Amino acid sequence: MGVAGVIFDGLLALALVWLAWQATRAADLFHAVVSFIVFGLLMALAWVRLEAPDIALAEAAIGAGATGALLLSALDRLASRDGRHRMLYEPATAWGFWIPAGGALLGGLNLAAWKLPAPGLGEEVLASLKLSGVDHPVTAVLLNFRALDTLLEIGVLLLAAVTIWSLGRAPSPLVPAMPSPALPALGRLLFPVFVLVAAYLLWRGSHAPGGAFPAGAVLGAGAILMLLAGARPWIRSSEHGPWRWILSLGLAMLLAAGVTGSLFGGAFFEYPTGIAGPTILVLEVAAGLSIALLLFALYLRGEPCEHGYRGAGT
Amino acid sequence: MIPETTGPVVLFSLPLAAAVVVFIRPRWSVAVTLASGGILLATALWVVVAVLRRGPWRQDIGGWTAPLGIGWTVDGLSAALLLLMAAVGLAGAVFHAARPTGRTPVRDPRFFWPLWLFLWGGLNALFLAADLFNVYVALEFVSIASVGLIGLAGGSAQAAAWRYLLATLLGSTIYLLGVALLYGRYAALDLALLADGVEPDLVTAVAAALMTLGLLLKAAVFPLHFWLPAAHGRAPPAVSAVLSAVVIAAAYYLLVRLWFGPFAPLLGPEVATLLGLLGAAAVLWGGLQALLQRHLKMLIAYSTVSQLGYGLLVFPLAAAGAVQQAWTGAVMLVMAHGLAKAALFLAAGAIVLRHGIGRLEALGGDQQGVVVAWVAFAIASASLVGLPPTGGFVGKWWLAQATLATGGYFWLAVLMLGTAFTAGYLWRALQAAMRPGWETSGGLQALSPALGLSALVLALGAALLGLAAPIAARLLDAGSGVAG
Repeated sequence: MGVAGVIFDGLLALALVWLAWQATRAADLFHAVVSFIVFGLLMALAWVRLEAPDIALAEAAIGAGATGALLLSALDRLASRDGRHRMLYEPATAWGFWIPAGGALLGGLNLAAWKLPAPGLGEEVLASLKLSGVDHPVTAVLLNFRALDTLLEIGVLLLAAVTIWSLGRAPSPLVPAMPSPALPALGRLLFPVFVLVAAYLLWRGSHAPGGAFPAGAVLGAGAILMLLAGARPWIRSSEHGPWRWILSLGLAMLLAAGVTGSLFGGAFFEYPTGIAGPTILVLEVAAGLSIALLLFALYLRGEPCEHGYRGAGT
Repeated sequence: MIPETTGPVVLFSLPLAAAVVVFIRPRWSVAVTLASGGILLATALWVVVAVLRRGPWRQDIGGWTAPLGIGWTVDGLSAALLLLMAAVGLAGAVFHAARPTGRTPVRDPRFFWPLWLFLWGGLNALFLAADLFNVYVALEFVSIASVGLIGLAGGSAQAAAWRYLLATLLGSTIYLLGVALLYGRYAALDLALLADGVEPDLVTAVAAALMTLGLLLKAAVFPLHFWLPAAHGRAPPAVSAVLSAVVIAAAYYLLVRLWFGPFAPLLGPEVATLLGLLGAAAVLWGGLQALLQRHLKMLIAYSTVSQLGYGLLVFPLAAAGAVQQAWTGAVMLVMAHGLAKAALFLAAGAIVLRHGIGRLEALGGDQQGVVVAWVAFAIASASLVGLPPTGGFVGKWWLAQATLATGGYFWLAVLMLGTAFTAGYLWRALQAAMRPGWETSGGLQALSPALGLSALVLALGAALLGLAAPIAARLLDAGSGVAG
């Protein structure tokens, strides 16, 4: 790494800390949310610098994109309720406790990270890669070596969607009136690109950075963009129709894959020899679809209508 | 003959699969939940018997061994907690299915069942996990399901659920920081591998401190208990039962796993005394607060803060030498507390439904329909106080023996004082039944007998645990972190 790289990383780190400070301490909430979104984008850049492009993609799509859109919608609803955009109080505990505690934690972690030998398991992963059925180490870890974690993570997403549904109906109207006429047109134009990129990422996952999580995140973010551009949310909470099935598909398929291993005398999640690659591809497609739809469902902030929306939409 | 390794597969997969089914087909919720609950209880019993017979075992997931893969550990401790979860999960489901609909605090009952099953699956995954990151994901599962279930009660419960979400996410994040440090230091996440390789250096100490802090927050140990009373007091009855009985015990379970596993070299007298003092403060503060409560469910919620404090006494007593006695006693107490506390919350749920109000002054008068619930309340109280022959008595007796063996008279005094508090606040609650009640319009005469019976079965379980003490001791000795 050259001098330029060191300088760039240093500036990146400083900018991240400054944006985090802005996001938590800015008096103007809009300012805070924008800082948070920029923080997500720079964080994605940091992941790229750490040579983790998979995480960078997910961070950009979820951390900056979907979360940012959610925060902006929340801000809009706050504004329509009481017209205040500013935090009116200064918690007394902030200077006395949270800021020193956060600073101490940051310093301690830096010190510890400096001292870490950080051996990692990269070599073990590469040594077993041939047996895993895929050529990309990240995919091998996510869907073979530690598939149990992935199962629980997709479960967490589904669980979060159910929890949000249990809190009440999705607000109506779902998105604020859009002043810009360009966004709907742009959204329509871009959505096929989102679908294409997602499909490409999914297919690429077996041998290069990509796979279910980034693909699902990109597709979900594309759907949210369509929604912001005025599209009707086509998802329904009715028990009829495919929506509950697709939302649960990823978890159900992973569970089925796990149990199948046990049924054929192997361990839980032991893929049959020889067809680990195809199995993983099927699981990735199922998981990617579920992730995309789950992200979209999370963005709706509540249980969607049971039988369709009436009213404006393109 | 089906191998024992099938047991964990069923315990892990069935609740999650059932949750998916009841999410897709809400109409089948009650039938699917009760059927899978029955199977899960039978499987948990089978796993307990298997551990008693052949000792603890470890099974690898996907045929990959650690450090690359993830494993499940089944030993006496995890088997006991899996059984506790199955008992409370099934009893809570029966209670919820039998509750009178229409005037229930649960606003939208359609989502109770998937959330309940998700919580069950997450807790089972947690008790099986032998990998620190897998534990983190399971913790997230448990947290989000708990938040959703608390919020179902609507109104002020949603504010409590929000506070709980913030507290528990903070706890998870702090825990994860510790996990990352350990991985960076040892390139391993497996508990057994870490236990073999850990050295008492600075990075490990920081990781241990972070993970412990996160778990103390999740276990609502004094002074980090601020979120618990509102969340547990305002949730629907079945939810309060499982939160106080099992979710809190899960965080405690991890503390014990870590400090008697990988972090054992760090458990010096100072750390152990600090944890013990936190426990002692929790026992006394929680007990005092419970004495002052006016609402039946809040009283029981503060009692959880107090009772979990006993569990932390294991650290100073074990550091002083009485490892085996202290360990068995503390875990026995947590198990007995789980059963008794779930019984108390379910009984209280039935009683509050009967009177339409939860204030202690209002609970007297005509008790038609909730006599069984009051009986369950009394039996569970006997176990919490520690009257022989209940499980609570045996746990306290073993802990007391450990204090005597190590000369830790301070801890003995805490144990005694806490018992006095417990007797005091539970007596207040029981006394309420004898007083003339209020005439309230909100009460219900006709309650399903299943409400009281589900509480009674759990209370009897807590009592019978004392009679089964020799078996419990053998189970907890089986491959506990202490034995190695």
